[in-house]
Amino acid sequence: MEATGDQLILATGGYDHIIKLWQAHTGNCVRTIRFVETSQVNALDRTPDKTRLAACGYQCIRLYDIESSCAAPIINFEGVQKNVTRLGFQEDGNWMYTAGEDHRVRIWDMLSPQPHCSRVFDCQAPVNAACLHPNQVEIAMGSQNGGVYLWDVKSEVHDQLIPEVDASIQDVAISPDGQYMAAVNNKGNCYIWSLSSSPNQQLSTLSPKLKIAAHKRYVLRCKFSPDSRLLITTSGDGTARIWETEHFTMWRELCVENYWVWDAAFSADSKYVFTASSDGIARLWKLQTKNAERKYTGHTKAITALSFKDEIVTE
Amino acid sequence: MASYSNQHWLLSHIRNSFISTDDTGMCETVMLSDDMPKHYLRKYQGASVSNIATQNKQQQRKSLGNKQQFQRILDPVLQEVDFVCYPGLDQSDDEDMDSTTQSFEIQMYPEVWAHRFRSNTAQKLEKMDMARRKAAKTKSINYDEEIIPPERNDFFVKKKVTKSLQITKNNENVVRDIDVTDNIGTSSNTAVKSKLALQLANSPKQVQNKFMEYARFDGTSQAGIQTKRIHVFLSMLPERDRKTPIKICVLASAKIIEVIGLVCYKATIQYPEIPLKSIRHYALYMTEDNDAMEEFPPLDDREPCSKFGFSHLTLAERRPLAQVTRIDYANNVATKSMTSEEDKSRVAAAAVRSIQDMETNTGGISDEADSNCITNNEEYDERMMSHNDMLEAPMYRTYRLIINEKPFFKTEVTLGISGERIEIDQHKNAKFWTKQKAVTYPIDVIASCEIIEKRHLKATLRIWLKSSSSSSSNSNKTSTDMKSMTHASESSMVGGVAGAQSPKSPGHYLHVPSSFGLFSTSSGSGNSATGQHFPQMRFKHYDFEADTHTAEHILNKLSCILNVRSSEVRREFLQSRERKQDKNQAKKHLKM
Repeated sequence: MEATGDQLILATGGYDHIIKLWQAHTGNCVRTIRFVETSQVNALDRTPDKTRLAACGYQCIRLYDIESSCAAPIINFEGVQKNVTRLGFQEDGNWMYTAGEDHRVRIWDMLSPQPHCSRVFDCQAPVNAACLHPNQVEIAMGSQNGGVYLWDVKSEVHDQLIPEVDASIQDVAISPDGQYMAAVNNKGNCYIWSLSSSPNQQLSTLSPKLKIAAHKRYVLRCKFSPDSRLLITTSGDGTARIWETEHFTMWRELCVENYWVWDAAFSADSKYVFTASSDGIARLWKLQTKNAERKYTGHTKAITALSFKDEIVTE
Repeated sequence: MASYSNQHWLLSHIRNSFISTDDTGMCETVMLSDDMPKHYLRKYQGASVSNIATQNKQQQRKSLGNKQQFQRILDPVLQEVDFVCYPGLDQSDDEDMDSTTQSFEIQMYPEVWAHRFRSNTAQKLEKMDMARRKAAKTKSINYDEEIIPPERNDFFVKKKVTKSLQITKNNENVVRDIDVTDNIGTSSNTAVKSKLALQLANSPKQVQNKFMEYARFDGTSQAGIQTKRIHVFLSMLPERDRKTPIKICVLASAKIIEVIGLVCYKATIQYPEIPLKSIRHYALYMTEDNDAMEEFPPLDDREPCSKFGFSHLTLAERRPLAQVTRIDYANNVATKSMTSEEDKSRVAAAAVRSIQDMETNTGGISDEADSNCITNNEEYDERMMSHNDMLEAPMYRTYRLIINEKPFFKTEVTLGISGERIEIDQHKNAKFWTKQKAVTYPIDVIASCEIIEKRHLKATLRIWLKSSSSSSSNSNKTSTDMKSMTHASESSMVGGVAGAQSPKSPGHYLHVPSSFGLFSTSSGSGNSATGQHFPQMRFKHYDFEADTHTAEHILNKLSCILNVRSSEVRREFLQSRERKQDKNQAKKHLKM
């Protein structure tokens, strides 16, 4: 079955060790890929050209060609230790970053014929989250011991903060306009920093802006919308909350009662959001109405990661 | 048997058996390459020459000759052991010997191989080969390898974050509360439109698969969960597509109804132009792999699909008559059998007729026997229910109940009811009382079944049957005694109970302990009127206690059977009841 082309593909992965590709607008599953038999899917991302899907889990990182029907990965990482928690691509696909519980964030050169590691950053604690700054050289990271890091991959300088002791940072995000950085922890709190940078400055300056008691429990992910106007936080309390970045007030709350909301992704126009939850269903919400427009059913266990690459249509 | 005393034959047999049954292939590699008897023969050729002459009389022991002359020493221990040679083995030429020592089925030609079970080794090798070929396509990267800093200076390029996003953001403040997706192409100030919004707008909700909820039973690529692969033919497709089944992989735990849902889900994706009804309308039928649907009832919706081993099934509209048990009305013999369409309609018609006679099932039954013109689904279902009740009634079923013999004595029993007989079997765990023998009554002696008492959850069920003592051989004395007693009890009851038929009036019948001890016997009063045919027909009854649902089920089942058969006993029972009622009525009138 043709997986790409004109279709928009939503990729989901979860505890059933399976990655599913969905036709976003119909909710039909177009492909099912068996991930590693011993691992859940921790994070998913697509290469900027949308042809490849990268997935990471326990002791594994794999890249799949989603245009071919071959179920085998095209790239497989060997000797991976512990959980790999996040991965992502530089906007041209030149390199990929991975963050893992082996305390390290690595930069992988994907241009060379044999991809190899070209940078490593040691967080001294299991890394739960990493995210790339829109300037494509800074990476924000969050670790299990509560540390938040900002690392410039080019000059290899970094900055470290601990917003809350005895809390584990679950996710970090930087707004596409480069204005804000957000970090969420397992206590339900969300921290916001303002980022500023002068032309000759290597590393952006972090200035604390706000602390929001975003959820009652564990926050699992945070993401800014493409227009930077919204921030979504997903939690183990069965909700995903959407905050307006202007004042960081809650704008919408999406409920998947009694289930953990593991991941979320915005559409390019920031009007829709996908959520992945532990009921094994991915949902597409229209933010204006809070309606679940589509449901993507097929996973037999919790969905823990999703990836959606939308496009802006200009008329 | 003679061959079992033939050592060589035994050896060869054991050898062949090992080779042909060992799936690991190990025996084959070891044994086939080394034909031991042959080796030994060659080995001991020299030594045996002298003994050839005497071999015909008895199996000769070949003593080991000079050790040094053998170049190939296979087993040092064996060298000390005498080798028994099969008579004539050394005389035959090589071709002959090959055929005697080795089964014809064991040959190393690859084309003959196919007839044997493929050994695990072969399969393993093939799997490894596949994995290797797969791996060739997969690029492998060592996670822990050395760090090679990028050679190019422009590998990491700092991009300027465009603030244009913020500009559009400001523009959008105006649009924020207007839904962009709903008025595509109308507003010009909608700066950002996503492809997703466009596609959603172009695909209304109806396009969505209505069988979506069943997608979760898809077992494709599932690891660690049992799944089943089934090829399903879709009977609703146009001719050319009907021949190609859709392949589904379903979780083994899914029920058949959920399998149907998944098939519908897949079918909707694959053939979006074929409209499907709700899954209730469909059933899965057993099918040959050439898509010839079998004349068997569909798979039970409630069963897990793991229970069935079919590789091919057909999804078709549920046939009006799902399961048919043929009741041979002429011979009063119920047989379970699959019937032709003609028989089906005949049985159906008969069933409908008898249902119409039943008071309990008057609702929802129309005269039309042909199912094609049914428009109302509910009505149809209801009718189907009654049909099935009718048709399933003669099938054997057992119930666990409590029997009320005499007051205070309650025993657990198993009541078995079929179209031919009923059985009452006392339960095994009844330790307290000596176990009674099981009793069986042909259905012809059963007169009636009724629920005499209904409480909140429990009900008392009474089954009337012809007493075995009601034969003409009964002594006159007993019968007259009984009659007088009956009359006595009757008169004593008359004032108290209005309806003589009331089940709460056991006084109408004389209770006589029977030989069985489980039931009471009573005589039908006023049997003199029908004396010409059944001068002494008397009835006894069993009372059972059960939960209301079971009691009603039994009542329904037994009534169905009895109504269809309408035996002499039943007729007599009903008549006697009527007469009694009349009599009581008359008496009441008299009193008034």
